Amino acid sequence: MNPHPLDEATILQTLRQVIDPELGCNIVDLGLVYNVAILGTKVSVVMTLTTPGCPMHESIRWGVNNALLNLEGVDDAEVEVVWDPPWHPSMMTEFGRNATGVGSF
Amino acid sequence: MGVNAPSVRLPLTFVLTGLVALLTGMSWLVIRPAILAEYHYNQYVIATTHLFVLGWICSVVMGAMYQLVPVALETKLYSEKLAGWQFAFHVVGFIGMVWMFRVWNMKQVGHFGCVFATGVGLFVYNIARTLRRVPKWNVTATAVTAALCWFSLTVTAGLFIAIGKCSYETSEGLATAEGVRTLVGGLRQLAGFMSHFDAISAMHAHAHLGGVGFFTMLIVGVSYKLIPMFALSEIQSTRRAVWSVALLNVGLAGSFVTILLRSPWKLAFALVVIAALVVYGIELAAILRARKRRVVDWGIKYFLTAVGLYAPVSVLAVVLAWPGLPLNPFTGQLENVYGFLGLIGVVSFAIMGMLYKIVPFLVWFGSYSRQIGRAQVPALADLYSAKLQAAGYWSYLAGLIVTSSAIMFSSEAFVRCGCALLASSISTLVINVGMMLSHYIRPCLKPLSTSPSAILKTA
Repeated sequence: MNPHPLDEATILQTLRQVIDPELGCNIVDLGLVYNVAILGTKVSVVMTLTTPGCPMHESIRWGVNNALLNLEGVDDAEVEVVWDPPWHPSMMTEFGRNATGVGSF
Repeated sequence: MGVNAPSVRLPLTFVLTGLVALLTGMSWLVIRPAILAEYHYNQYVIATTHLFVLGWICSVVMGAMYQLVPVALETKLYSEKLAGWQFAFHVVGFIGMVWMFRVWNMKQVGHFGCVFATGVGLFVYNIARTLRRVPKWNVTATAVTAALCWFSLTVTAGLFIAIGKCSYETSEGLATAEGVRTLVGGLRQLAGFMSHFDAISAMHAHAHLGGVGFFTMLIVGVSYKLIPMFALSEIQSTRRAVWSVALLNVGLAGSFVTILLRSPWKLAFALVVIAALVVYGIELAAILRARKRRVVDWGIKYFLTAVGLYAPVSVLAVVLAWPGLPLNPFTGQLENVYGFLGLIGVVSFAIMGMLYKIVPFLVWFGSYSRQIGRAQVPALADLYSAKLQAAGYWSYLAGLIVTSSAIMFSSEAFVRCGCALLASSISTLVINVGMMLSHYIRPCLKPLSTSPSAILKTA
């Protein structure tokens, strides 16, 4: 029995270990993660990227999938990349804005 | 690796070849500064120019296009195998051409030029087939297509010039197969046709086809995709972007003909090209004003400074295209400054800036793309030294100013100083590329936390 059942905070903290290498910041503080759903041992993530045609598209998606499957208590992961709503810097956390040099919105 | 991009090795091989050529060329200028301090119509200037243009600029541009065209236009490279063959033709062709220019054996220049042209044919075919797969046609795709057409014409014009300078044995005396005699006869006719044109004008027209048609067209077209991507912005006016590419095409077509024929109308077409660059500059400024990422990194600073250098190059273009300009040693040196600032200033500086985006990207894909989410991986900016990059920027800028001034006044000593500054800047780039490649050889990975309790403790 896992003493720490999966919850959204754990998943988001896990995803903070996945960075966008061009911007040098994790995808959660960049505001790229739109939704997290936990169903037993399966985790589904809906996310976006900063720009369509982003050359890091597959790597980041693959990274999110890896990070979820490496987490104790996760047996299955699903990552969906969507473009609606389009990403905007206002979705970033203050930490993300400071880390990337994006101005205030 | 991204689904659309080719393997990392292919573009990296082209880039490393380019860097070797760049360092060799700049060292050559330090050793023999007279190349720039004297009028440019001699074997050493032409050999060095082709080393920079084919060995450095074309190598990097071709490698980058194999990588960026599929990524930027969201499609797949038509054939990676063909690109590998092209590399072989490219290296043999340009090394042979540079060497034969140096010893001024135009017949062998033509032969190696054919090897190079075969590679260009493979390159153009590969990228053209890739462009046919583009799902959404845009201004970048249009500019890349135009650049490929101008590049093909540049190579053809270069071969025609080489043929024009060759004196072939009379075809009637050849005891060879009918096909060979026909070929040699055809080449002699072509040489006769080329004799109608002034040799220096033909060389200048050929240089503008490549410098404006291939390099500037790519700088303009590709930056409409890459600058918004890196600065987190978007094109502000598609109409403006389209106009810049259209004007560049019209201006270049007219410039080629008027330069070749020594027509006074070349000033009018130079102004059309400058108008294209002004429209491009306005759009680029608008893209940057709308950027969401306030910090402009050094790679972008390199690129933007290069674009800014179009201003002095344009002023020189107007001066040199002015009808009735007296042909004296000083105007000859101004032509040298024009070519130097165009190739080593604008194009090379822009490429160096883009290399700081492309090489980390390639190395990161090769070393870390399959590790992300499994281990802590570095960001692209962690792969090299930003301090060295900044030092390289300032020394390059100083080198350009010193060398341009020295060329204008034919000072070999100061050309040597300026080129030494440029070589030191290039060395910082080479060291940084070495640092990046060390990640390719020995990736730097740290373990991730996988236990929920440990992860939450770090929150």
